[in-house]
Amino acid sequence: MMPSAVRPPVVAAWLVGLFTPDRQTESITGDLLEEFSDLTSKSGVSSARRWYWRQSTKTIAHLIGNQFRSSPWLIATTVLGGLVLLTVGGSWPSQGIVALVHLRRHHVTPYYSPSEMKTYFFWLESGIFIGEDVMSLLVGCVVAMAAKGKEMAATMTLGFLATLIHAGIAVSVAKHAHADAFALLRLFPVRLFASAILVVIGGVIVREIRFAAARRLSRA
Amino acid sequence: MRSRDYLGEFEHIVVLALMRLGDRAYGVTVRQEIAARIGRDVSVGAIYATLDRLEAKGYVKSRLGEPTAERGGRSKRFFRVTANGVSAVNRTHRALLSMSKGINLVGRYSS
Repeated sequence: MMPSAVRPPVVAAWLVGLFTPDRQTESITGDLLEEFSDLTSKSGVSSARRWYWRQSTKTIAHLIGNQFRSSPWLIATTVLGGLVLLTVGGSWPSQGIVALVHLRRHHVTPYYSPSEMKTYFFWLESGIFIGEDVMSLLVGCVVAMAAKGKEMAATMTLGFLATLIHAGIAVSVAKHAHADAFALLRLFPVRLFASAILVVIGGVIVREIRFAAARRLSRA
Repeated sequence: MRSRDYLGEFEHIVVLALMRLGDRAYGVTVRQEIAARIGRDVSVGAIYATLDRLEAKGYVKSRLGEPTAERGGRSKRFFRVTANGVSAVNRTHRALLSMSKGINLVGRYSS
């Protein structure tokens, strides 16, 4: 095994693995490692690490492009399905959490002290966002499961479109809402990217599970 | 596969590199051969994306080699050009020659 000082950058190697199709994983990661070892002995570790990052970035760009070229319809269909899920079912978990918070207030402990009221409003507000985040993560997983082999291209596209839609909503709210609604807008810079990031994390989770399963199969 | 399919510019370069390398053709050597011959630094991803496409068209075939320690126990994927691949290179080469015949490229367009 290689000493850790001369190992390629862990994050770069992980990112390449995320975007590489299963059947090419061995060849691409092996080729990068072979050239990295060669460069380390010729020009030193730091130069080899810089080379590895450059190669990884270019390789990932090509692999993403290839995923779009090889299965444009699969990616388009899964992304469209994901958008429908996010739009139609986006508020379901939030509604569930808010219903639970209300149930506790009205049916379990109807009389709140001021501090309990604060907690109640905190969970009411957070519940909506937690619900949205759970849904984004779930949609990311579902889209990645449907777009087998193209998990990252599909979830990244969906994340990008979700960000555009959220930005559109933010602009529309800013134009038409009355003064009170501006309090909500303070959360938009965070919320704008939260959904996209969680959709992509869903894709990463599914991709990692599939990759581990494929590795187990090839070892068996 | 259509009999009048031509190779794209980079496909053409990759197939020629495979033909030059013979039994030693895999990702690293193909990349190095292209860099040495035409000075183009291409990514491993670009090489494999092209090889994958060529394999799907039936122009190249691949096989896995033995795992080696320098590659962290990973195998090399060796490639070779098929008879269809050789025909495609010839077809593309003839097409380029026909199209450029009679044009004084150096005298007319060199800056």
